[in-house]
Amino acid sequence: MKPMSKYTISILCFLLSITISSAQNEQVETLGEKETDSISFQEKYGLRFGIDLSRLGRTAFETDYSGFEVSADYRLGQRFYVAGELGFEEKANSNNYLETSAKGSYFKAGVDFNLYNNWLGMENLITSGLRVGVSSFSQSRERFTIYDTNSQTWGELQNSERTEFSDLSAVWVELIFGIKTEVFNNVFLGFNVQVKTRLTEKSPSNFENIFIPGFGRTYDSSKVGTGFSYTLSYLLPIYKKARSKKDATVEEETTIEE
Amino acid sequence: MKKIALLVCLLLFTACEPDDVCSENTQTTSRLVIEFFDIEDLDSPKTVAGLFALGIDADGNEVNILGENVTSRSKIELPLNGAQNQTQFKLYKNYDIVNDVVEGNSDIITVAYTTSSVYVSRACGYKNVYSIQGFSIETDADLWMINGEIVIDEVTNENETHVKIYH
Repeated sequence: MKPMSKYTISILCFLLSITISSAQNEQVETLGEKETDSISFQEKYGLRFGIDLSRLGRTAFETDYSGFEVSADYRLGQRFYVAGELGFEEKANSNNYLETSAKGSYFKAGVDFNLYNNWLGMENLITSGLRVGVSSFSQSRERFTIYDTNSQTWGELQNSERTEFSDLSAVWVELIFGIKTEVFNNVFLGFNVQVKTRLTEKSPSNFENIFIPGFGRTYDSSKVGTGFSYTLSYLLPIYKKARSKKDATVEEETTIEE
Repeated sequence: MKKIALLVCLLLFTACEPDDVCSENTQTTSRLVIEFFDIEDLDSPKTVAGLFALGIDADGNEVNILGENVTSRSKIELPLNGAQNQTQFKLYKNYDIVNDVVEGNSDIITVAYTTSSVYVSRACGYKNVYSIQGFSIETDADLWMINGEIVIDEVTNENETHVKIYH
């Protein structure tokens, strides 16, 4: 399967999930109208801060990687959140012919849409979102061996002169799918996967971007990339709001009847 | 919803690509291609009977070329030495070994060039591209080569002839 068709499928999945979730909304609304129960649940709205555990883990256990990522989101509506990530990554890559390393920081901003209809009293999320990412980084070429299938005659040629390429950058868009579960009061554990595609990039001359901080490794044949993170986050509640306007109306009416 | 998440995961983990291995089809460092032509009819290739090539290193020692065998042919591919700015080869016509004595007519050619390392891909790294600056046939008492000329000076692939030798 070609990477481009995978990407198309991912977009289709995204669209499909939105359609499914809107269909579910309708169901809930119909039920809500009939409901006369006066119990309403105040949902928390606020700013959530998080840290990526997977990047911390990789920093501890992988010798060729170090990085961290902090994330934040702010709830705008029943289902909408504005969200962003900020991070730093350093990664070394090597094979028999090329040894490189890249380091730099990145920023991602966008929106999350909660597809999950919680039971009353729960505030978990299954999100589908969109991000625009920007990375500013440098890359170094530590050494390279000339690829020559006929090198047995004269011997392999190696260049160990370190060359640094700075002021590199990349811009990409990504689809992000994730879950966040409230494990303790206001404390969430989450996992997300990202599918991304580069829009623009500044590559070094006579070389290419092997690894882009925030974007991940690149592929020769496409502009697509993937990523994931495990997040631990804390919600700082700012205000509370009833689950939906319709529920609130029902509540008021009940009060008058009494 | 969980099914969708699963599907996305599945797509992600099947997204591995074979571009961590340098494919044999990728054009990496190319050898020099020499084609032999007829001195009496400059446009027609002429087979050299029992053609065999040896490399000559900086100290004048003979070096075996990997994959080089004695065959009658009108085209030969020779690896250039990227550590130097010129490489010498000894080309035999009617090469044979009779009672441990090498027979045949040998001529020495010298190819001078500049080298540049060009990026190929993450798996293949860099290749050398040679730009031929000069080609000469060393004079000896019994030359089987008469003349040589550079046709294409950039050695980027083996599908084209870089140097023509007339005999």
